[in-house]
Amino acid sequence: MSRSSSQALFALILIMIAAGLLVLNMGGFLSPVESLVLRPIGGAQSWLAVRFYAVRDLLASPADVATLRGQVRELQSENAQLQQEIIGLQEQVAQAQVLSALVQYARSQPDSHYLAASVISRDVSPFLRSVWIGAGSDDGVAKGMPVVTDRGLVGRVVEVFASVSRVQLITDPSSVVNVRLQTSRADGSLQPQLNGEIWVGTISQDAEVSPGEIVLTSGLGGNYPPDIPVGTLTSVRRRDYELFQQAVLQPSVDFRQLELVLVITNFQPLPFNQSSGP
Amino acid sequence: MAYIVGIPILMLLAVIQATVLSSLRLLDGAPDLIFLAMVAWALTGNSRQAMAGALFGGLLIDLLSGLPLGATAIIMVIVVYLVSLTAGRFWEANLLMPLTTVLWSSLLYHGLSLAVLLALGRTLDLSFALGRVILPSTFLNLILALPAAQAASSLADTLYPPEVQI
Repeated sequence: MSRSSSQALFALILIMIAAGLLVLNMGGFLSPVESLVLRPIGGAQSWLAVRFYAVRDLLASPADVATLRGQVRELQSENAQLQQEIIGLQEQVAQAQVLSALVQYARSQPDSHYLAASVISRDVSPFLRSVWIGAGSDDGVAKGMPVVTDRGLVGRVVEVFASVSRVQLITDPSSVVNVRLQTSRADGSLQPQLNGEIWVGTISQDAEVSPGEIVLTSGLGGNYPPDIPVGTLTSVRRRDYELFQQAVLQPSVDFRQLELVLVITNFQPLPFNQSSGP
Repeated sequence: MAYIVGIPILMLLAVIQATVLSSLRLLDGAPDLIFLAMVAWALTGNSRQAMAGALFGGLLIDLLSGLPLGATAIIMVIVVYLVSLTAGRFWEANLLMPLTTVLWSSLLYHGLSLAVLLALGRTLDLSFALGRVILPSTFLNLILALPAAQAASSLADTLYPPEVQI
């Protein structure tokens, strides 16, 4: 057998192995194995994420950078170990501030039970908008649970493993969120666009909708609990010849800066709709 | 030996890609470290190892993304197999080879990924995907192509030192 045909045969065998795994995965037979593999990877991601966020936060705030760089230079000359401790403590303070805000939010919503989880990574595929959180079925996370921050709605859990879960963001074009406009009381639904914009569609033509109006979840459809803030309308488009009005939404959550989130653990969603994946 | 070294390297690259690079994007594109590593390894002439690595690396990517397990693995094995066909050709020593190979293979890799998503019923705007994801990702892959080829070449020399006739 020539080298090229031997290579082609080898590639074919590998493709068949991958195809076999694909079929087994679609049948749900590989979930325990995935959980097993994701456990150490999730641990490594959490470890790296904490340090990466610390560095990113330092670089993202110019005023702090100047001060901190000065401090770091002094500390470098004194003790490299102290330098590492300072960065670590600063990150802890930042995390404590975020946690404090989350606790305040949780206290203001006594009906819901929350589980705090850190965002450990984003979806590797640039075509999908989801994040991985460092909490899984071991912590009581289940598929369909809504995820929020103190600012508002983040998304919902679409995949759960032992120690990590995948959360589909509301900016993902395949996510479905029914909403209500706070002032006009009109119902609508989020229509995330591929460019990252979020439109609110299916707003009745009769509703008096104006920019600046706050958008909350409506609870219709059973995917999310009602009255979770989603964002604010920035512009409204109303055309007489169209069935519905359309508006552009500014989400209340900054999805680029997600570090800690709350999973609402006592919400019972209606049976999970597979068509909202992957 | 290459497999023992390769598995932890691929796992490390997967974690870096998911945690760090997915937050540092150009438009919506990000460099594909595992893909680059396997293409670079295929260019060193170790085609079988590169294809096996592509299977393992693809499965890791599927685990860390919303794609079904096995989808990226199939795509990556196909692409790395095609890359391996070019290894050892007359232009092997050319500096442009890693760049040219990464250019077409990157476009093919993302094109096939897009096709899989479309087959899965995802709503995707092709011009948006091309302009904001595929081209920026390919550009970033091109920037990293030469360092990746150099690193793979050095690793190959370390693992398989060339025989010297005395």
